[in-house]
Order: sequence, then structure tokens, then C-alpha cells
Amino acid sequence: MTNALTVSGLTKTYQDFVLDQVSFSVPSGSIVGLIGENGAGKSTTINAALGLIQKEAGQVSVLGRDGLDGDTKEEIGVVFDGSNYPEILSPKKLNGVMKNIYRSWDETAYFRLLKQFSLPPEKRIKQFSKGMKMKLAISVALSHHSKLLILDEATSGLDPVIRDDILDMLLDFVQEEDHSILVSSHITSDLEKIADYIVFIHEGKVVFSKPKDELVEQYGIIKCGAAQFDVLDKTDIIVYRKMDYEWQVLVSDREKMQKKYPKAMVVPATIDEIMLLYVKGEK
Amino acid sequence: MKGVLLKDLYIARSNILVTVVSLVVLGFGLSFLLETSALLVLAPVASTTAVFISITSDAASKWNKNVITMPVSRRQIIGEKFVFYILLAVLGLITALLPCLALGFFGADITLHSLCLYGAIGISATLLAGGISLPCAYLFDPEKSQIVFMMSFMASTGIIVGIVLLTNLFIPVKENILLAFHIVLAISAVWFFVSYRVAVKVYQKRDIT
Repeated sequence: MTNALTVSGLTKTYQDFVLDQVSFSVPSGSIVGLIGENGAGKSTTINAALGLIQKEAGQVSVLGRDGLDGDTKEEIGVVFDGSNYPEILSPKKLNGVMKNIYRSWDETAYFRLLKQFSLPPEKRIKQFSKGMKMKLAISVALSHHSKLLILDEATSGLDPVIRDDILDMLLDFVQEEDHSILVSSHITSDLEKIADYIVFIHEGKVVFSKPKDELVEQYGIIKCGAAQFDVLDKTDIIVYRKMDYEWQVLVSDREKMQKKYPKAMVVPATIDEIMLLYVKGEK
Repeated sequence: MKGVLLKDLYIARSNILVTVVSLVVLGFGLSFLLETSALLVLAPVASTTAVFISITSDAASKWNKNVITMPVSRRQIIGEKFVFYILLAVLGLITALLPCLALGFFGADITLHSLCLYGAIGISATLLAGGISLPCAYLFDPEKSQIVFMMSFMASTGIIVGIVLLTNLFIPVKENILLAFHIVLAISAVWFFVSYRVAVKVYQKRDIT
């Protein structure tokens, strides 16, 4: 399987934050969810991968090409949090701008998407709601035959109905074999719905990069008391967290753990819970 | 670059229209008080304010972050703003020429000498001011760059006076006033080009977030 995006050893140092040797890939035809708490390094990773910020070290390969030249950018659609288009423009005027920027701009597809999303072509963007602005940004990203979509917190701040519309559209986009998506979000429930792989970033480092099904179907949480916690084999524990009345222990194979500790309560772990345990738990 | 230029024209369209109409009205109005061709000093400078409207709009919408992900290089992003600035200055100059030519046609005392002189002063002031303010618009935040923008016109006046005084050491300016201001114009053009190169160099290494 080829990769639409490969990031290896990406490093960027700020005064109070370090993006430390971040490596992961987005296989062609898949959706990769980049998760992590606010300030974990998701946007910094995307910004560095897109060449918005200067990286100190590391390699980025996009659609099989090293670096980001004009031809590669033709095939990438990027959506940030917010529309990032001059608000004085209308979608119709934006079409005029974009067809002079992208060689592969597809006017018909753009107006079809505007219609699909019920976006008025003549209305100024400043009169749009946040959801409409986001749909417009996605319409632009999908109107130049993109093969790779990169969305940075694109669904945050949107109501569940619009989020669901957007997720449906992303699933639709990835039906083509050579289409891929990297989507960063701290709304893990969205990623649980659509992602094939999850990359978890914490304090500037990749904690894990795994298929979502492995996390959802195999990972589990042992909920136990102090006595039971003491008898657990410490090599089985990924991270643990002491709560008020119980211990929560993250394990990578819940069925194996259920057999090994029959008296323990082992429950499936959501991505949210896995993230919380990594962030707040101890090793 | 064409698409980005079109975007700026859309943003600044109303401002450009107001400037053009004002210049034409002012041109005819001035003819009763003083030499209409003096408007050529003011016109290019006044017309370029639209560039800063587009820069402020870009900053407000975070367009610069977006456009870098498109097939537009950083050099083209900067180059477009400099081209837009020149286009507006030329548009201002042409607009100011209209009342001059119309009044000249009806017998007003407008000479080619005065048109060349005031035109050279106006374009020199515009190029010098743009050479200062345009790179600063990408170095500082919008509030600071607006201050620099206003200061740059004062600075350009000072620089012109300085160059003229310096020229006067070698060529008597009073007897060669047109030559002196063409020297100023040439220096301003070089300054504007160098400023573009510096802005590109700075912007290539700048983090856009």
C-alpha cells in the first residue's frame, strides 16, 4: 500500500513547546485521525507538513513526492478551523479567484457542491454562519480534484447535524481508492465514526499510531480496586489512573486480560478514554 | 498570481472607485485654485491605500495561511502585492491625467514639463513609501503596519528632499529640475525593487500560523 502522506522525524522547537520527531503516515485510500488535547502539537504538525512553518528536521512526502511544489499543491485540499477566505467575497467571486489559482479547478463541481450544501452563491461570506463557512471551505477543497484532504480542527465548534453532514462527505470522498484524508480533531467521537487509523500526539510526541479497529476492538480498561491492582502483572499495563473509588488500567488486549484476570471487570475503551488515560494516567 | 490579484481587486474595488472619482472631482476643482497637474503628486500615493485595505483583510481572514497551501509560491504572494501597488499607482496617475488633459484641451496652461515633473515626484513618493511599508506589512502585525504605512509617506518626502539636496551638490537643481527629479525617480524604482527582494527573502523564512 502506498502512502498519500509520510511524515518522518518532524521536529520544531518553540520557546515553550517542542514537536519532537513526529512520524506517521496516511495510507492511500484511508482516513487518518490526528488526536490529542489542545496544544499537543496537532496543528503544528499539520503546519509543518504543509510548509507553513519552517521545520528544523524531518521529511515530508506528499503523494509520492518530496516537498510541496505547485503540482503537488494542486492535488491537496486543506481546510482549517474557520473559512480563511476574505469575508467580503461571495462564493461566486471566490470561484473567479480559485479558477485563476488552480489549473484543475472544476467550476461545475464547485457550484454543484454549493447547491448540495444550500450555500447561496451571491451572498457575502461574512453573512454566513460558521457551519456554512466550513461547508464552503470544504467545497473549495473538493473542487480541484484533490487526492489528499487535510483538515485541521475543521469540525470543532459546529453543531452535531453539520458535523454529521461533513463526516458523510468525507466518507464519500474516500470512496475513491486514491483519495485520502488526514483530519485532526479533539472531538474523538467524530474520528471513531470515520477514521481508519488513529495517530495520538501528546506533548509534541506521537504516543501511538494504530488502526482504529485495533483500538476499539482490542483495547480495554480494567476497572479494579487497590488489592486487585497490586496483583496485576505490570507488563500488562499500558497506563493506569487512580480514581476516587477505583483504579482504571489501560490494556492492549482486553480478551486476553479477561482470561488472565477472570475476576476483574474489563470493559471496552473508547478513543476518548484511551486519550484521557494516556494524558492523565501514569506508567 | 492572477487569482490572488483578482481577489485583491474584489476587496479593494469600492475603495478604488471612491479614489478614482475623488481624484477626477478634485482635479477639476483644483483647476480654479492652482495648477491641476499638481494633482499628479497626490494621485498615485492616494490610490495605493487600497493595497493596505487588502493586507488588513488578508490578516483578518487569515488568508495568508490558506493561500500558502494553494499552488501559489511565497514569492508570488509578495510579488502580487508589489504588482498591485504599482498598478494602483499607475491607475491613480492616469486618473489624475484625465482632468489635466481635458482642461489642457480647453486651453488651460498645462505643460508637458509640469506633467513630467509632478508625475515623477508623485511616483517617486509612492515607490519610496511602498518600499518601506510593504515589507513591514509582512514583518509586523496589522496595527503596527498601519502606523508604518502612514509614517512611510512622511519618510518618503524626507528622502526625496534628501536626494534632491544631495543631487544639488553635483548638478544645480534649479536649472535642471526635471533631470533632478528623474534621478529621484530612478533611485526610488531601484529602492522599490530592492525592497521587493528583501520582502521575498524575509517571507520565505517566516512561519505563517
